[in-house]
Amino acid sequence: MIQKPDYYAILGVLRDATQEEIKRAYIESAQRLHPDKNQMPGETEIFLEVQQAYETLSNPKRRKSYDVSLPKDETPYSPILFETLYSRPHLVRLDESQLIYILINLRARSEDKSLPVPPLNVCLVLDRSTSMKDAKMDLLKAAAIQFLRDLRAEDIFSVVAFSDRAEVIIPAAYQSDRQKLEMHIRSIQAGGATELFQGLKSGLSEVRRGRDAKRINHMILLTDGHTYGDEEACLKLAMEASKEGIGISVMGLGADWNDAFLDQVAGHTGNTSRYIARPQDIQKLLAQKFQNLTRVMAEEVTLESNLGNGIHLNYAFRLQPETGPLSFGETTQLGSILRDTELSILFEFLVQPSAVKGSQTRLLDGTLKIAMAARPMPLPPIRVRFECDVSAEAAAHPPPPVILQALSRLTLYRMQEQARQASPAGQIHQATRSLKNLAGHLLEQGHRDLANTVLLEAEHIRCKQTFSLTGEKDIKYATRALLIQEGDILA
Amino acid sequence: MIICKNCLHNNPPGAIFCAECGAQLSSSELATQSIRTDKVVASDGQDTPIAIPDAITDNAWGSLHLMHSGQILPLTERNEYTLGRLSEGQPVIPDLDLSPHQAYAAGVSRLHALLKRDGKRIIIMDLGSANGTYVNGKRLTPQTERLLNHGDVVALGKFKFQVLIR
Repeated sequence: MIQKPDYYAILGVLRDATQEEIKRAYIESAQRLHPDKNQMPGETEIFLEVQQAYETLSNPKRRKSYDVSLPKDETPYSPILFETLYSRPHLVRLDESQLIYILINLRARSEDKSLPVPPLNVCLVLDRSTSMKDAKMDLLKAAAIQFLRDLRAEDIFSVVAFSDRAEVIIPAAYQSDRQKLEMHIRSIQAGGATELFQGLKSGLSEVRRGRDAKRINHMILLTDGHTYGDEEACLKLAMEASKEGIGISVMGLGADWNDAFLDQVAGHTGNTSRYIARPQDIQKLLAQKFQNLTRVMAEEVTLESNLGNGIHLNYAFRLQPETGPLSFGETTQLGSILRDTELSILFEFLVQPSAVKGSQTRLLDGTLKIAMAARPMPLPPIRVRFECDVSAEAAAHPPPPVILQALSRLTLYRMQEQARQASPAGQIHQATRSLKNLAGHLLEQGHRDLANTVLLEAEHIRCKQTFSLTGEKDIKYATRALLIQEGDILA
Repeated sequence: MIICKNCLHNNPPGAIFCAECGAQLSSSELATQSIRTDKVVASDGQDTPIAIPDAITDNAWGSLHLMHSGQILPLTERNEYTLGRLSEGQPVIPDLDLSPHQAYAAGVSRLHALLKRDGKRIIIMDLGSANGTYVNGKRLTPQTERLLNHGDVVALGKFKFQVLIR
């Protein structure tokens, strides 16, 4: 028998996909591979295959006869390896709620590492409000120019500067005359208020102009201030960007920016915020970001899922790359998989007594969708099912060492979060106690300087009843950095 | 319900670290071995050997005389030492690794205590170790500095040494 091509894999859908899903997948592939647009050799052939697949699967009759010819129970090949680790082998039948931790790792197959590095389509969105004046602005411009110099010929690049209105300094295009562009960047002057939405909107429209599923489409926002009144609009825009496969990263300068809010903006696109304590470090961090963008293997991993009955997700945290908490919903952007760094997410589930009545409990049911610019064909989604047997007795099993290690660090980050939640709520005692506990653990693990910072902050809260602006960011991003170290151990 | 031994916070079953104070709840390889420390208190100095000054090298500001082996560890290069034992997969390295001296069996934590010099004064501080730090049989309050005198016997859990100050 002649091996028929796997039409489901070609379209990147599951075997039980609905007609609607098949149609959507076809349109996406067709846009990407259309002969008018493709440049890579062999893509026209793939396009023809996609058409053939769609013609077969979109017709219920033909699909049925095709399905019969398929080998049974074959799991489709996926270029992404996916593994799941549970903190304990089973749940226990109890009258009280219980916790279980699940760690997932996604990584690229080694043979795929030879795939070409996808070109970038990146926009720098620079804050030029009055507070950026003088040295900060100069360092920012120098960093942007260095970023421009790092770009490769195939990258599309744009720059937007904003205060209370936005201006496109460099429109999105391939950039050949770099000297002229450097002049444009040097001409940026500081002045005005910070209105983030203006900058993001203008940046997004630039990225859209160069948007292409074969590129890493990304926007990097650099800001030092609070925005007022347009937060909702910014979050909405981030969600739109995420739907179009455009990532947003944030770099916050100094103490005055709103890190919790910008974490959310970046989080909607599966990215995170970085804290730049000293303006001298802008260049270094921006160069790091560029490096990370060129190491991307799969730029977007999206989890569409439903929780089981009686299951509550307490916390979802990306351990690596780009450490940070996830905003979990029916559709969750998990982040990206790098060539040399796997994507690791830790979940904490709270299981209600009602959920452990049977012999097996379903915690979460969903699919992982993976966008990979380096491959011409879409990837088939991965089924995700977190299930756990229920037993009468607790097992004396210790949790797997990787979960234990990750949690020991994550616990420190969460103590910091706890203190930050308690302080504005007026629970000064709780906040200082959390910080003192945190300092104790840090000291025990040998982070003496950080422990000291934490203790000073506890003292500050005791006297002033509130966090200091620098202290809260110093501690948050330093405890996060501890997890990045942890990531290296996991890898 | 798991009650945290450290802060008595109630954690749901399945929790691994206390949500309140961050202490580890279930015991596993990250934890220090628990030992009986009730006998350590009885130390009254009768097993205190005589100081051996010739073992102190010229540039050392002090040294530790390990009681079970008689070995002398000089304190030279730095003014501050963390004492503990090195264990695998452990990112934190104590300045003075006592694992070659059966530290694990004696109940030494990975980062057990801090020993430092402040001018002429020598100070020890317990870093919240599992089995405690004792000076001449008296247990120290964690994270609190304690002045040491020449000849004091310090116990990290059951691991005993005498402090020799130059």
